[in-house]
Amino acid sequence: MVIRRLLRYLTPHYKALKVASVVLLLATFADVVGPILVKIFLDRHLVPRSFDRQALILLGGGYLGLHFLSVGLHYRQLVRFNQIALKVIQQLRVDVFSHVQHLRLEVFDKTPTGALVSRITNDTEAIKELFVGVLVALVQNFVFLIGIFIAMFSLDIRLAAFCLVLIPAILGLMYAYRRVSTQVYRTMRQELSRLNAKLNESIQGMSIVQAMRQEKRFREEFATINNAYYQAAITNIRLESLFVRPAVDLIYTFALILVLNFFGFQSLKGPIEIGVLYAFINYLDRFFEPVNTMMQRLSQFQQSFVAAERVFELLDDDRVTGEVNTAGPPAIQNGLIEFKNVSFSYDGSSDGPTDVLQNISFTAYPGQTVALVGHTGSGKSTVANLLMRFYPVTRGEILIDGVSLSEFSNDELRTNVGLVSQDPFLFVGDIAKNIALSRPTVNVQEISEAASFVQADEFIGKLPQGFKEPIGERGATLSSGQRQLICFARTIAGNPKILVLDEATASVDTETEEAIQTALAKMRKGRTTIAIAHRLSTIQDADLILVLYRGKIVERGTHSDLLLKEGLYFKMFMMQQGTISLNQNC
Amino acid sequence: MLLFKDLMWFFKLEKKSYGMGILVLVFVALINLFPPYAVRVIVDGISKENLSQGILLKWSLLLLFAGFLVYGLRYVWRLMIFGASARLARLLRKQLFSHFTFLSPQFYQEHRTGDLMAHATNDIQAIEMTAGLGVLTFIDSLTTGGLVVFSMAFFISWKLTLITLLPMPLMAWSTSYYGTLLHKRFHKAQAAFSDLNDKVLENISGVRVIKTFGEEEAEKEAFRMLSADVVEKNIAVAKVDALFDPTIQLIIGISFFLAIVFGARDVVDGQLTFGQLTQFTIYLGQFIWPMLAFGWLFNILERGRASYDRVESLLKINYQIFEREGVTDQLHSGPLTYQRASFTYPGARLPVLEEIDIFVPQGQTLGVVGKTGSGKTTLFRLLIREFDLSKGDLRIGKSSIYDVTLKALRTAIGYVPQDHFLFSASIAENIAFGKPSAIQEEIQAVAEIAAIDKDILRFDEQYSTLVGDRGVTLSGGQKQRISIARALLLEPEILILDDSLSAVDAKTEKAILQGLKAKRSQKTTLISSHRLSAIEHADLIIVLQNGKIAERGSHPELMAFDGWYAATYRSQQLESLIEEGGS
Repeated sequence: MVIRRLLRYLTPHYKALKVASVVLLLATFADVVGPILVKIFLDRHLVPRSFDRQALILLGGGYLGLHFLSVGLHYRQLVRFNQIALKVIQQLRVDVFSHVQHLRLEVFDKTPTGALVSRITNDTEAIKELFVGVLVALVQNFVFLIGIFIAMFSLDIRLAAFCLVLIPAILGLMYAYRRVSTQVYRTMRQELSRLNAKLNESIQGMSIVQAMRQEKRFREEFATINNAYYQAAITNIRLESLFVRPAVDLIYTFALILVLNFFGFQSLKGPIEIGVLYAFINYLDRFFEPVNTMMQRLSQFQQSFVAAERVFELLDDDRVTGEVNTAGPPAIQNGLIEFKNVSFSYDGSSDGPTDVLQNISFTAYPGQTVALVGHTGSGKSTVANLLMRFYPVTRGEILIDGVSLSEFSNDELRTNVGLVSQDPFLFVGDIAKNIALSRPTVNVQEISEAASFVQADEFIGKLPQGFKEPIGERGATLSSGQRQLICFARTIAGNPKILVLDEATASVDTETEEAIQTALAKMRKGRTTIAIAHRLSTIQDADLILVLYRGKIVERGTHSDLLLKEGLYFKMFMMQQGTISLNQNC
Repeated sequence: MLLFKDLMWFFKLEKKSYGMGILVLVFVALINLFPPYAVRVIVDGISKENLSQGILLKWSLLLLFAGFLVYGLRYVWRLMIFGASARLARLLRKQLFSHFTFLSPQFYQEHRTGDLMAHATNDIQAIEMTAGLGVLTFIDSLTTGGLVVFSMAFFISWKLTLITLLPMPLMAWSTSYYGTLLHKRFHKAQAAFSDLNDKVLENISGVRVIKTFGEEEAEKEAFRMLSADVVEKNIAVAKVDALFDPTIQLIIGISFFLAIVFGARDVVDGQLTFGQLTQFTIYLGQFIWPMLAFGWLFNILERGRASYDRVESLLKINYQIFEREGVTDQLHSGPLTYQRASFTYPGARLPVLEEIDIFVPQGQTLGVVGKTGSGKTTLFRLLIREFDLSKGDLRIGKSSIYDVTLKALRTAIGYVPQDHFLFSASIAENIAFGKPSAIQEEIQAVAEIAAIDKDILRFDEQYSTLVGDRGVTLSGGQKQRISIARALLLEPEILILDDSLSAVDAKTEKAILQGLKAKRSQKTTLISSHRLSAIEHADLIIVLQNGKIAERGSHPELMAFDGWYAATYRSQQLESLIEEGGS
């Protein structure tokens, strides 16, 4: 199943494959003909001592010519097969990566980042080994063996038929080896992963081990596992010694005895062609190297197979984001947002204790700011996640301009709803690229306008290369405030009608703090804004403040309304006032 | 070759295996000279028409015997040499692991787990390869190569040998050259792959931003470019890699051609029989492997060399905490004193702790608070000697902690670190970590004090439930409480809770603190916490600020002082109120 699916990837390379196969066949042919020419030389010229100059030159030239041709063709086919295999893997990689791009966020929530990365890179790399190392090598060697047999048959049908015995012998050996080695190989890999796990765990927990004086016990435990791995390795060595090279060589000896006896007995009955004997011995010599290679590659097979299974499993994950395909999808004109009785749980269950939102209803009129406040875990961020359509709304309804959120195309939503998230994520590249991203509508002019709008132009101007300043890994060279400003510029460059602000919890340096607050205020102007606030001071001017507690709206109103209520909002406000004065004390 | 000298200690250690292995290897090389000879006898018999059934049978049997003998002997040398190299790997892994257990936390701060793992796996594998395959190729190419050439030259024709071997050095040279070229290109391919990996990592971590801005197509395009680059670099590798076989084929073909052409002349001249010519070409075939191996050898040695150096330099690192001369392993309990204790982390400019004076009478509880980075954890790490003081002294009872053995000191102290690390084992084994002989009742008793007992009984397999990588996932609070139980089981004179109640709720925290009080009335307890409710009850509370003690006293005293402690306390009171819904 897996193999067939992998082979299907070869279809687009059908032509290249055909060319490569023809080259392989030609190369093998040229290669195999050599000993026959030697045979002709021996039997027609050397034995009867008839040295016709022209014939000899023809023969010698033919031999050398074919040889060079074969070498050249061999090189070509090797490169070609590799190219095809590499391109197949590239296609597979692009397919997995593309598929992952369209997976819903819940997949990313539930799968560790490392595991996903590993599927796309390492596992496909393992499949490359399967393709290049195993499949290609098997095909090449198989063709070569066939070629040798054809040559043998053309020389002496009877002996060649005898030599056919080799095939079941070798297949039997391969079969036996694979049967025994699968188990041994698996044990070895298990022991190895146990060894690695122990090592990893010990290194990470070394401080505990030392604090509790368990070093000796750990050394002993490690020694036990280390020893078990060694034992498995030894078993593997024994097995390979019994089944692989020495065994193949033994079969070679049998074959040699067979050929010698065949000719020996023939010669007792009458004269034979000595050249045929020579050619047969020569073929036998070369017959067994491919066999050895094939045997060794077989053990790699298992590993790559598992990797391929994992890759296809990811490719088959159907939790993809859907795209709406209605004719003339609705457009966002004004930016009126309505939440109607929205309830939500991340595990997909309906009405249960796992609900993070319960019956949320509110309306944000065009240009207004609605602020969500509440303790960590109150469900504020989930409101933003739903509005961004990161997760599907299953209970209740979210409307924009009176149209259900699910009816908008991805493009429409993304150009008109801008999200500024807590974590200022930057891509590798320069600042300009991070502001513009791949949007064709954002040109140089707009980049610098966006930057100056959020007041990021000031610090960007001070950088040695300005907008062309490269950003190191995760923007490590910039302060978190500066990164935040770049993300603001990125959002504002798209000129969205709706803004979702997920305010950063981590306090940024005071220098940029002010710039950030000014920028935020400016950004909100004229846009419908859903602001998730951690610091109440930043949203006092909001048109509506919703106080969330365990997924429910417990208080709503303007800043002054809520203060008068002396409820949860009031307490939070008092507390933050306290902390502010506290910070100033220090 | 230098690496072989470096590994000489091991070869000596395993001299029996290596001696025997090499001896058998040479023996195999000798026996392998025989089959071509048998072929020659039979071919000559056929061409001279003096072959008899008896001769044929005799040589067939001899060939069969030689075949089985070689099969057996090959098994022996493989087991000897490859077995020895596997033992070297085992030994090095063991040494490295032992070494790891002696190294201080400073070492683990400076080295990433991934790197250390790489040393213990990949590097040791490369060394193993040198000690196995490296030795084999070295010995085999010398003996087989030497013997084959010797036989060709002395038993057949030295002139023909010279002529046919002429192209051979080219093979050794080119394989070695390709090896270097391949190495370089392979490096580039690896770098391209690593770029691809980085891109994927960036993409997966930035998935929200990508979805927000609809960057999927651009990301796909970027990935396509990078993966195309990987393909390009790999094709460059393949182009060199594909050179090996054809080059060998080319040179061998020429050698064979020379052998036939010049051999045929000798046959005509009567200097050579047909059998000898056939024998000669078979020998020629046998010579391929040693030549190849020789080219290979350099690559194996080069890789082994680099790996051996890395492992060696790791083994040479010495960050152990040393014991003074004449330390005793008697630690008498008593008050705990920090005397003008100062500490600067190695390599850092500014001290983390400066002139700290603390006195904790035996049986009392010390609370340590302060902002992140104020030096709370360092204060404790100095006590268990993960690091040693730069200035001042630290005393327990009448003796300095530097005058007792590490063992005695660490036996007296139970440490619950901030990052609660559990091992892949059952819960019971994790609690009994420091005392594997503990019985179930003891384990259960401490689990009760740590208020984790009820949680554990709720699991299907209760105390036998596996935790860690392959086991159940525990919440942060559960892990913390298991860590506390783990330390309690040792009944230490001094118990350190380093912010280890941060993930448990207020009610549980209260229960644990009460349990500790009852159980440890005569023993000293040190607690640090961000949440002041955890240290409110302490006999002495200190507030650390930038490595110095800013405030000290009991809870009522500090509240009266109305400084950072009092302000934080009030704010946290309000916060917990909000957390409970404001009522």
